[in-house]
Amino acid sequence: MKLFNHYLKKLNFNTNIVYLGFIIIFIFFSVMLYDDGFLSYRNLTNIILQTTPATILAIGLVFALSADVIDLSFGSIVAVCALTTAVLIQNYSVFIAVPCGLLTGLVMGAFNGFFVAYLRLPSFLVTLATLGLFAGLARIITNLRSIPAVDPTFTGIFGSGKLYGIPSLVIWTLVAVLIAHVVYRQSRFGAHVIATGDNSRAAQASGINIYKIRFSVLVLSGGCAALAGILYTGRIQAAKYTLGESDLMIVIAAVIVGGTALNGGKGSIIGALVGSLLMGMLSNGLILMSYSVSQQMIVRGLIILFAIAISLRNLK
Amino acid sequence: MKILKINKLFIALGLMLLTFSFGINAETIGPNGEKATLSSQVTVSDAMANSVKAKGYTAALLWHDQSDFVNAVTAGATDEFARMGIEIVAFGNAAFDAAKQKSDIENAMIKSPNIILSLPLDPVTSAAAFAEARDTGVSLVFLSNLPSDYNHPDDYAAIVTDDLFQMGKQAADALAKSIGGKGTVGWIYHDAAYYVTNQRDNGFKATIENDYPNIEIVSEQGLADPARAEEIANAMLVQNPDISGIYAPWAGPAEGVLAALRSNGNTTTKLVTLDLSEPIALDMVSGGNVAAIVADEAYELGRAMAAAGVLKYEGESVPEFIIVPAITVTSENVSEGWKQSLNIEAPASVLK
Repeated sequence: MKLFNHYLKKLNFNTNIVYLGFIIIFIFFSVMLYDDGFLSYRNLTNIILQTTPATILAIGLVFALSADVIDLSFGSIVAVCALTTAVLIQNYSVFIAVPCGLLTGLVMGAFNGFFVAYLRLPSFLVTLATLGLFAGLARIITNLRSIPAVDPTFTGIFGSGKLYGIPSLVIWTLVAVLIAHVVYRQSRFGAHVIATGDNSRAAQASGINIYKIRFSVLVLSGGCAALAGILYTGRIQAAKYTLGESDLMIVIAAVIVGGTALNGGKGSIIGALVGSLLMGMLSNGLILMSYSVSQQMIVRGLIILFAIAISLRNLK
Repeated sequence: MKILKINKLFIALGLMLLTFSFGINAETIGPNGEKATLSSQVTVSDAMANSVKAKGYTAALLWHDQSDFVNAVTAGATDEFARMGIEIVAFGNAAFDAAKQKSDIENAMIKSPNIILSLPLDPVTSAAAFAEARDTGVSLVFLSNLPSDYNHPDDYAAIVTDDLFQMGKQAADALAKSIGGKGTVGWIYHDAAYYVTNQRDNGFKATIENDYPNIEIVSEQGLADPARAEEIANAMLVQNPDISGIYAPWAGPAEGVLAALRSNGNTTTKLVTLDLSEPIALDMVSGGNVAAIVADEAYELGRAMAAAGVLKYEGESVPEFIIVPAITVTSENVSEGWKQSLNIEAPASVLK
């Protein structure tokens, strides 16, 4: 009982609004959609599969925001890396195509990082510009053509495969979140990221190379976008220049609702995961409730607005 | 770069092939050469509708985007399903996102619909997206696009789309009439390998070339990005300042062409386009450059999709490629045209 009370006191509802919101909405849909398959293994697994790329993107954004930078270009990086991987798979092994796709994302992230960290330009403006630059690149790569990616090894590892009965995308989510959480919370790099975002002058004074940190988080964001692009490609067995285009707002919302501060110094990988799952659960539940598209957009928007308002209010 | 050159070659060859084929067929054909059947021939009898009512079928409508057109298709499908007691259990809007479309399908499949009406975003990305639905026997009806390697009738009930060639032909007839059957014309076509716009565009061109010997197409410009329509039209007007008429492939680019005409102070060149749009219609009823808009019967398209889905599920034979009629909307029939195409009242601004 003492232990229970101890953890109850530690649980700060104000700063854990995403978890509370997730539980409330989960219970709501569980009750309302009890006979409509919401709680079925298939549906719950679908939610994780559908949100895996967004979760990976959210991880990258948590690191970036924590260091007080932002990457608006990750959606376009998703498309470029997806297409690069899909094109290469047509003629080369998966074990060449995928590393090349990842490398492409890292290079694009480094491109962003160079302008932000070393030319000291605002990340918002740099990545707003590269959002368009990379989107144009995605269109040029295959001249708007979609590229199939049906290699069984590729789709097995990055799409519809299973390992001991567990879908590969679920494994990717768990592994990515676990590694990111440990790095963010337990490593020197994670501590430096948070310190840089919290107070860059103090961090610099304590010997942290804040420019290297800002560069690194943008490279990391690019790498996460590349992995998300590869997972998208594995999931739909094709790549298209529009992949990732509509992810920007959803991922930002997931990260903010999950407890990461927009102005740096505070973040949560687990919160971002739950925020991403919350977004996916909302989309899933509203479709299962047979709402029209307009109704879905309104309800989802209101819930996200409410959740963001509470999260940002409590981060002050 | 090599990929770009090869793709441009294929697009050029494809357009040439389509143009050549229209010299022989002059009719709408499907994405794989399927022969068209008019939507009026695809109906569910009252007897079958009554028998279906007792079966508790359900359907899902999973669209690519939201628009007046999609709303009209939804209305047609909804009314037809209601006639047969079929409940629509899921709605989706992929917003042109291939991954979202796959998610919409997965979510809808949890409700186990018997019929899915959808517009596959593109043949390549949609093939895997619809696989589960196809493999579990859902009656799939596709609007315009067909997933790669899907075979009729096993994999889908039908493709339903506009009478593509006829839309282009009617646009040509309307433009020709507006310029008195003689003069010069600019042809702005969709520069992409997409059978829907390709057939509409080539229907226009073939009709002008075959039916109007006194009209010459003096400028042909490909359009890949609708946002560039204004600059393309400006170039066309600079090169041909006395051009009699211009064809734009759909309403979006037509708005850009109209902007170019206005900025050039050109009040005489006539413009025709496809698909209803309030700004374009407003210019038309105000006596501006727009001579006519050719539209499809979107409501009928939804009805035909619903009927095809039910017929397939009931084990009836369904034509693989179904087309709905085209209508020419002018300032004289704008109210009737809007109602016939979209099943809604025309905007108040165009009725004044």
